[in-house]
Amino acid sequence: METAAIQTHGLTRRFGALTAVEDVTLSVAPGQFFGFLGPNGAGKSTTIKMLTGLLEPSAGTIEILGLPFGASALELKRQIGVVPEGMALMGRLTAPEYLRFVGRMYGLDGATTNRRTAELLEFMDLANESRKLVVDFSHGMQKKLAMAAAVIHGPKVLFLDEPFEGVDAIAAGMLKAMLTGMINRGATIFLTTHVLEIVERLCSHVAIISKGRLVANGSLEELRSGVASTLPGTEQEQRLTLEEIFLSIVGADGGHEPAQELTWLA
Amino acid sequence: MVGIEGAGLSGLGAGGVLGAGARAQYAAMAQLRWNMFSHSLHSSKGALELGARTVANLLYAAMGVAIGLGAGAGSYLIASNNAWQYVPIVFWAMCFLWQMVPIMLASFQEQFDLGILLRFPVLFGSYFLLYVVSGLVDISTILGGLCSVGILVGVTMARPDLFGWTLLGLAVFAAFNILLVRAIFAWIDRWLAQRRTREILGAIFMVMILSLQLLNPALHQRRHAGRNGQPAQRESVKQQTEELKARYGPWLQAANQVQSWLPPGLAARALRQAAAGEQSGNGAVPALGSLSVLGMYTLAAGGALAARLKSEYRGENLGQAPSRKKVDKRDRGWLPNAAGPVAAVIEKELRSLLRTMPVLYALGMPVVMVFFFSAMFHNGTSRSLHPQLQIALPIGVAYALLGFTQLFYNNLGAEGAGIQLYFLSPTPIRSVMLAKNLFHSALFLFDALVAGFVVSFRIGVPNNQVIAATAAWLLFALPSNLAVGNIFSVTMPYRVNPGRMARQRGSQANALLSLLVQLGILGIGVAVFALCTFAQALWLAIPIFLALAAGAIVAWLRVLTNIDGMANQRRDSLMATLMKMG
Repeated sequence: METAAIQTHGLTRRFGALTAVEDVTLSVAPGQFFGFLGPNGAGKSTTIKMLTGLLEPSAGTIEILGLPFGASALELKRQIGVVPEGMALMGRLTAPEYLRFVGRMYGLDGATTNRRTAELLEFMDLANESRKLVVDFSHGMQKKLAMAAAVIHGPKVLFLDEPFEGVDAIAAGMLKAMLTGMINRGATIFLTTHVLEIVERLCSHVAIISKGRLVANGSLEELRSGVASTLPGTEQEQRLTLEEIFLSIVGADGGHEPAQELTWLA
Repeated sequence: MVGIEGAGLSGLGAGGVLGAGARAQYAAMAQLRWNMFSHSLHSSKGALELGARTVANLLYAAMGVAIGLGAGAGSYLIASNNAWQYVPIVFWAMCFLWQMVPIMLASFQEQFDLGILLRFPVLFGSYFLLYVVSGLVDISTILGGLCSVGILVGVTMARPDLFGWTLLGLAVFAAFNILLVRAIFAWIDRWLAQRRTREILGAIFMVMILSLQLLNPALHQRRHAGRNGQPAQRESVKQQTEELKARYGPWLQAANQVQSWLPPGLAARALRQAAAGEQSGNGAVPALGSLSVLGMYTLAAGGALAARLKSEYRGENLGQAPSRKKVDKRDRGWLPNAAGPVAAVIEKELRSLLRTMPVLYALGMPVVMVFFFSAMFHNGTSRSLHPQLQIALPIGVAYALLGFTQLFYNNLGAEGAGIQLYFLSPTPIRSVMLAKNLFHSALFLFDALVAGFVVSFRIGVPNNQVIAATAAWLLFALPSNLAVGNIFSVTMPYRVNPGRMARQRGSQANALLSLLVQLGILGIGVAVFALCTFAQALWLAIPIFLALAAGAIVAWLRVLTNIDGMANQRRDSLMATLMKMG
């Protein structure tokens, strides 16, 4: 049996009385483009932080490429790339300096780091900004740099927390092409985003988390047929979009009590 | 902003700037500022943090009161000695404080942009009023107010008959300063919103501080030579002074004429005329004339402010600096591209440091101060050193150590969101800390060497025992600082914006405790030096310090060994603190 790229069992994280993530068990096969969706505050970023070693789980286990976090943490970190929620950038460096720094932190030799830095800057259309400090970058440029830093060491598993937020359409298309290329070459990608159209286009499998609990998990077709079977009409008649599936699963109100209508608004 | 939005759109224009709608907006604004102030007092670090912050604020308040007392004492001396020709100095100093301090402080802190009010249906008069009133709680107004009270009390104590004139003159002068400082802010606030501009102003501020600090020892030396030097030296100073007077006297007289028509000069002149008039009985008219001209300056400052605010109110943005052009040049690395994470962190630290003026200032300042202070004990060409001055070297080196407190005790503070990378990468935190410790140690040793050379060059070379004992103390002090600093950096970090000098929220507990540790380390050094000197066996200090150094090095290595566990245990709060917004 093939080892899962990402495997969790009963993953739980509590912050005092609040349970942000509860009993999440999921498995992502190697080479899969996995979309992890949920409303704001559902526990997506907390889950990614636990999967990448930024946050200790309160309970449950995590294995990445068959290695558990803990004793294998350093070996495991060499295999994964992350665009975290805060982007992990260093404002007082220029983009080439930052990428060279990241490459060396991941143990790449100088020549490889320099070559990949130049290629990534060119690819991300940041080469002309090589003298500008990262702190002076626009949000979209910072996202692109964070993405470049996440892949400079050639990770086998890539975790992306809202990578398309604030990125223009041209850059988004470029990033999508890069990610698709990675999948074609055997990498595994774990993506959280609010842009459902991107998930629908790129991801083969999707999981949905709501109020900290996993409420759906499977291929897009499985989710579609699962939701369609609960709605009137045959499955063929119901070609549901991911947005419709998502809203059907978490509820149009995102699992919250419906708010009172603001009748004073014009 | 609930009050602003809830005031009722239809009633906003009615009643003008004092109408019910406008008053509701003022109340909402006051509530907003109060909320911001009270939130700034909240602390997640508990009572220790609040206590430390209170101590710091009391110190700032004491400094403000000291400035006010200085102004009062100066005014008293001038009034009681009838030396009114010097009163412009007091008003010019006050004006300088009032105008320059807020601008320079703005280089270290984000500005509260009152332009946000323009989203709301605010009358122009209300906007103008709010802009002026919000300036009343600025540090400049508080400092100016303390100076004014000091002058009023000082003059009145010496000349009670001048109370009314002093009060009137100070009131007009205060109004002028308040309006002028707000006008300056209105014109440059958007410019200040840019990081690079803040840093440039910060650098100018530092140069000014250095210049002022240079002035004191230079004057001290000259005064010392003029009063206590050899007869030939005294004669030479006297001759030089006469030459300067002859060369620059006419210029100074012309400058004095010009300044007397400028606002601080006018305020001073009014007081001088009033003092003369109270004695002769006909000083009211000239004094009122001077105050009238000062009043015109005040109106002009108000007009400049109104013109700028009117432009903003209409949606123009005259003060916005043009965006910088793209730089197409490729980066040319100048540091050896050594492999390995330790080298990578050292290189990153060096690059960041070279781009961070406030940190460079904090590191370089102690050495500069050692240079200036040593001027007071300058020994001329003699290389022999008075026994009491033997301790100058350890004092100079210890002083240099103080500049490194923030780097040692909060060495992750400037990482911001970059802290995540250290936890994501396969590099142990131990390597990161080791690299930072090595880099900071190298910087400190460079600083200590420079301080040592400066002291030796300016005062004289101490004997070999003092040099050896100082080096041995350093071997103890440095690893001690690094060991405790690494623990503090992980357990009570605070976010530092490298472009600013002001400490961030959550820093006071760390600051207070790190100061206590520093004092402990310095205290041990002083005690050992004192005891060994008293026993006339300074050589004994060397083995004592070396024994302490061995313990400190072991402690530092143990901390490094355990730092991964400590950091991983606290990674959640560490990242939350260092990535905190605002």
